[in-house]
Amino acid sequence: MKLLTSAIAIAASLYGAQAFAWEATEGRPFEGQTVQVLAVKSSQFEAHEARLAEFEEATGIDVVYDYVPFPNMKEALTTEMVAGGDYDVVSVMDQWVVSLQMLLTPIGEEMEAQGTDLSDFPAAHMRHGMLDGELIGLPVRGHVQLLFYRTDLLEAAGVAPPETWEEMVTVAQAVQDSSDAAGIVLPYGKLSGQNMMVWMNLLWGNGGDLFDAEGNPIFNSPEGAAATETYIGYLTDEIVPAGSAVFVEQDAVNSFKQGNSAMLPVWWWVRSQLTDPEQSTLTADQVGFTALPYVDGADRTTFTNTWIFGVTEESDVKGAATEFLGWLTDPALERDVLLDPELDEVVAVHMSNLTDPEVNERWGGMHQAAADALATAEGIDFGDNWPRVSEILETAISSLASGEQTDVQAVLDQAAEDIVAIR
Amino acid sequence: MQNRLLPYWLLVPAFVIVLATTIYPVAYSFITSFRAWDLTESRRPQGFVGLDNYFYAATESAFLNSLWVTFIFVVTSVILTVVLAMALALLLRRKGPMHTFTRIVLILPFAMSPALIGVSYRFMFNPEFGVLANGIGAIFPALQGVPWLADPDLAMAILVLTDVWHWTPYMTFMCLGGLASIPRETEEAARIDGASNLRIVFGIILPQMRGVILVMAVLKTIFALKMFDQVVTLTGGGPGTSTETLAYFIFNVGFRWFDMGYASALAWILTAIMMFISIWYVRMLLSERKMATA
Repeated sequence: MKLLTSAIAIAASLYGAQAFAWEATEGRPFEGQTVQVLAVKSSQFEAHEARLAEFEEATGIDVVYDYVPFPNMKEALTTEMVAGGDYDVVSVMDQWVVSLQMLLTPIGEEMEAQGTDLSDFPAAHMRHGMLDGELIGLPVRGHVQLLFYRTDLLEAAGVAPPETWEEMVTVAQAVQDSSDAAGIVLPYGKLSGQNMMVWMNLLWGNGGDLFDAEGNPIFNSPEGAAATETYIGYLTDEIVPAGSAVFVEQDAVNSFKQGNSAMLPVWWWVRSQLTDPEQSTLTADQVGFTALPYVDGADRTTFTNTWIFGVTEESDVKGAATEFLGWLTDPALERDVLLDPELDEVVAVHMSNLTDPEVNERWGGMHQAAADALATAEGIDFGDNWPRVSEILETAISSLASGEQTDVQAVLDQAAEDIVAIR
Repeated sequence: MQNRLLPYWLLVPAFVIVLATTIYPVAYSFITSFRAWDLTESRRPQGFVGLDNYFYAATESAFLNSLWVTFIFVVTSVILTVVLAMALALLLRRKGPMHTFTRIVLILPFAMSPALIGVSYRFMFNPEFGVLANGIGAIFPALQGVPWLADPDLAMAILVLTDVWHWTPYMTFMCLGGLASIPRETEEAARIDGASNLRIVFGIILPQMRGVILVMAVLKTIFALKMFDQVVTLTGGGPGTSTETLAYFIFNVGFRWFDMGYASALAWILTAIMMFISIWYVRMLLSERKMATA
């Protein structure tokens, strides 16, 4: 039996939004308990924290957030996994889930009792909350890639935003012919596998993949080599800034924000930075977006990034922690943040919000574009060797981009060999 | 009786702290280096594997590459730091009107965090808005827009530059200390005999500074072998693996790939290298003293 709390009902009516589906457990069985949350630093999670009063009043549970910057997050989670006991709820990025699996406890039954609708999460995000058939976490933050572009520069060049990667080259060259900006900016440098994220789309678009059904590397296939030749070719075609060879994602974003590049394929959450007057030289009118280009004749693809929230194995307050997760993953909370005029927060992981007319009206259809991309996005199975695999692949791409190595097939073959040799 | 035992009791807290914070972790990592320990599978070390982790290191190309990168880095950064520090110390030895100010300014790079130095140089060499990249481009137009950190050799050169910039001031002060202990009379006698400045430096000053230079070189070698911070914040080990030092590789193995047994073995290989250098240094110092007293 659940009780719809008055506090939440009032909050919902104040915002004129859908009523919260989540309901506090009757009798406040966890009253007086404290849930410690370890979260990566993000404005979205800060927005959740700002709304905690509703949850705390309804349940009597105290929630305390600790934030860690992204570059240190994996080390913080590793420490928690080995030493244990400090946190009850943690945010974990998809690529780390398998290697940090001992940190998390199954929560399937508890979330069912909370009334959480798992079917509302896109499959590409939801798969990272499952391990060996068990639910160990729920998506709270999820990203798709979009192509951001300079509306003024493309208009001046007389070109429309590209639909395919082939068109992208033509558009980039046209922009370069009519302005000082580079056609497109891409990150080829090494940092957490960021240089693979556009490459993966080319790989999929060319009909290739990372591994076959048995887990053997197949990215060094003719399709993989063609995708890599294309990706590295953007450097030799000089449609990217020269510095791209060593740019990481933030460098690429900075290049776009400083007006040095006309197109930027990147996660959608970056949107708020691109027109923030404190960070960017661009105005809202100058920045447009469209779905990520696809390889001509192939399906539309997007690399996805998902942050799940799970309950730690060592937690002493698992009941309170799952109650908190129920509240945190309520689509109404996400919608409330998306529509808050004081915030500039675009991230959503519920299909009901991605396709919500009011949300799309506020964000210019960005969420519907994301929903369309997610409809065909499969995501990747990140095995427990993924950190090593990712390092090998990003090093291979970095070597080719920097000119340290030039034989694409030989580099991919060596990378495949190194992956097979992982102990 | 009580008085005789009191000094030992007073030592107990310090001994316990050293035991807990140094001896235990070091011993634990040594034992771990002979065990399998995949953190994704177990919170505790798994079975003993003998010397497998060490044998694996001997055949793994990524480890061998990191050894080579570390060797290149250590040799260039130690030589450049010691030579520059000696040269600066000779310049600063004479007291002038800017004497105190120069010394204060000189110490500033050493006061900076290595990680911050890496971040700063990454910005300064950004080909689009980096002050150094654009400054060099203004002086040499052919170099405008050069992606400095994208070239493997230039990236290594900039990594060495950041380290030399960081350590030269400290080493300069060590040299100044050494120079202050050299009797001025010998130098003055040489000048009266008509010796040139160059002859005085190479014939009188440097031979007497041999011990100080040796200490500097050994200390700098040990610090350079541990190069980590700037690799993380400046190059990320790239492009490719061109700046992936041994310390950075060990970090990756342990904290990104979670192979704690192998990471412990690699850490002990690094420790063995540093111990070898330290022993060699002590022997050199002892032989110096023997020569001096003979």
